[in-house]
Amino acid sequence: MSIAPVLATDPLVEEAASRAFSDLAEKWFAGKVTRENLLTAVEQLGFAEAAPGDDSGAWLAAAAIIRAQARAAAPIDMALLLATGDRAAAIAHDPSEYFCAATSPMPASASAHAALSLGRCLQIGAALGAALELSIRYAQDRKQFGRALAQFQAIQHSLALAAEEVAACTTITDLALACAEREGIGSPRLPALLDAAALVAGHAVNVVYDMTHQVHGAIGFTQEYALHRHSLDLLRWRDHLHLARGGDIGCAERLGDAALAAGSAWRAVTANMTPGATP
Amino acid sequence: MRFHFPIFEFPPEAEALRAEVRAFVTEELAAGRWKKGGDFASNYDPAFSQRIGARGWLGMTWPKRYCGHERTMLDRLVVTEELLAASAPVAAHWIGDRQSGPLLLRYGSEAQRTEFLPPLARGEIFFSIGMSEPDSGSDLASVRTRATKVDGGWTLSGRKVWTTFAHRNHYAIVLARTGDAGAQRHAGLAQFIVDLKSPQVNARPIVNMAGQKEFNEVVFDDAFVPDDRLVGEPGGGWTQVTSELAFERSGPERYLSSIRLVEAALACAREKPTPRVREALGRMSAKLMALRTMSLAVAAQLQNGEAPNLEASLIKDLGNAFEREQIAVFRALASDLPKHSDDYLSALAQTTVYSPSWTLRGGTREVLRGIVARGLGLR
Repeated sequence: MSIAPVLATDPLVEEAASRAFSDLAEKWFAGKVTRENLLTAVEQLGFAEAAPGDDSGAWLAAAAIIRAQARAAAPIDMALLLATGDRAAAIAHDPSEYFCAATSPMPASASAHAALSLGRCLQIGAALGAALELSIRYAQDRKQFGRALAQFQAIQHSLALAAEEVAACTTITDLALACAEREGIGSPRLPALLDAAALVAGHAVNVVYDMTHQVHGAIGFTQEYALHRHSLDLLRWRDHLHLARGGDIGCAERLGDAALAAGSAWRAVTANMTPGATP
Repeated sequence: MRFHFPIFEFPPEAEALRAEVRAFVTEELAAGRWKKGGDFASNYDPAFSQRIGARGWLGMTWPKRYCGHERTMLDRLVVTEELLAASAPVAAHWIGDRQSGPLLLRYGSEAQRTEFLPPLARGEIFFSIGMSEPDSGSDLASVRTRATKVDGGWTLSGRKVWTTFAHRNHYAIVLARTGDAGAQRHAGLAQFIVDLKSPQVNARPIVNMAGQKEFNEVVFDDAFVPDDRLVGEPGGGWTQVTSELAFERSGPERYLSSIRLVEAALACAREKPTPRVREALGRMSAKLMALRTMSLAVAAQLQNGEAPNLEASLIKDLGNAFEREQIAVFRALASDLPKHSDDYLSALAQTTVYSPSWTLRGGTREVLRGIVARGLGLR
């Protein structure tokens, strides 16, 4: 007996969004468009309309768009745009700068708040994957001591560790996505899943930021090579995600309280992961 | 991405089964039938294995004609994770239920399935894994135990080590060399079902660091193995061994080895938890949710007939690091706990002493990272 996965992503939507954001990012990095041009293009493509409401069943397309934007490092913040509808804020940040995200807008409503967290986790997962992918290709191409970096066990293990964190982050995020898609953004168990995803994402950013730059050497630390785009995105989105949720310690304390209330960490975890449950 | 962890969820029937397992565990603990103890590889209790066999919780996914229960991998996962979360004594049946049975289902003869699967599913016979040797650890393809063809069967000579509970179990599935490897080092290997009670098979316990007799050195002194105990084809051993790995590496035993310590610390802290304890429990819960979702994905992929070997190795490495991290975290929090229960102290000692074995058994972290790296296209 075969078991079907919960989320059936539409490859056509994924591909269309990927292509669109790759094109936009390419034009932006070539200096051919302004941020306002990007916003207009995104609106013309209908992506700004993909904002998922409070109901279930709207998140898959939004997730594909958010991930595509993050993978391409296109400097238009689709998580913010779709969660808050704030057009100006979505293009306000300087993509070549890292700043503490404390001044970034925080949504007022609970559902927009959850939507923004989910969007941030989706962005982080996609950007982690992109940084890892760049590092794999670099390690395959770059030769030192007469062989490709990829042939050194130390490099292999560093990137394996990075991949493990990417996998953990994207999987817990997909779990939260499945909850939002099926039970709605107001699902009572979604906040705990988002707290968990925010913690896993935070750790993944630390590891991947470290490992991908180490593998790249000095070229990764330049503005002419693409890695920095993903790195700066990751740092900004992680900070904003954690600030929006009361800090990563706040996320951890809430999950810890759930474990204490249940009298068992295992029981709290299984309850939070049970579809339709009201923990 | 180069790996794939689709989201699956437990169906309502599986959640109903979870409630049943929890009630059973509560009743067993209340009756004092066992104490929470070591992990899946050390807490050995044949009577417990028979009781859960009688409940239909062994051989759950196997066909009914072999006394299996034709349930899904997800139902099986519910039972295994609940028993591990309760630190129940699962060591006797663990290997047979997890991998020897599935191996026989996939590669064994009809006669082998009929002979071995029913008593495995009843919890009456127990299996060991005969892979490592004194000179073959991570480099498994270098095994030297030799099976020589004789009339009516094979004679086995050589030795295996780290064979868990070979001194108490009934059978081991032994990887041996039947022919020369030649240029292909993975060729010329085969697996045999070996009777551990045979006079030419001598299992000698090797006392471990915890002072326990769990793993063994097993010597085969021209032990006769009948033809009908060869599993699959001569030369097919490597393919068969690697097909076991996804079952072996992705399960909850790879991230729940220290859950007993976490739960014991939580029980001590529950009346007056400090912010540090709350934070540690939360960080632990977050990672546990991620690992559990990943493990569920692999169980479902196995159910669907896929071979998620990269994903399984990735889970084991991540899970082992997680379960070892919890020991350091919940030891450091000792001074935050208002009291230290016997359960906390014994869990702390047990997990601390056993933890080096976690990142060795079933594939070292170095081997696992190599497999992940190969999956990433790095080798």
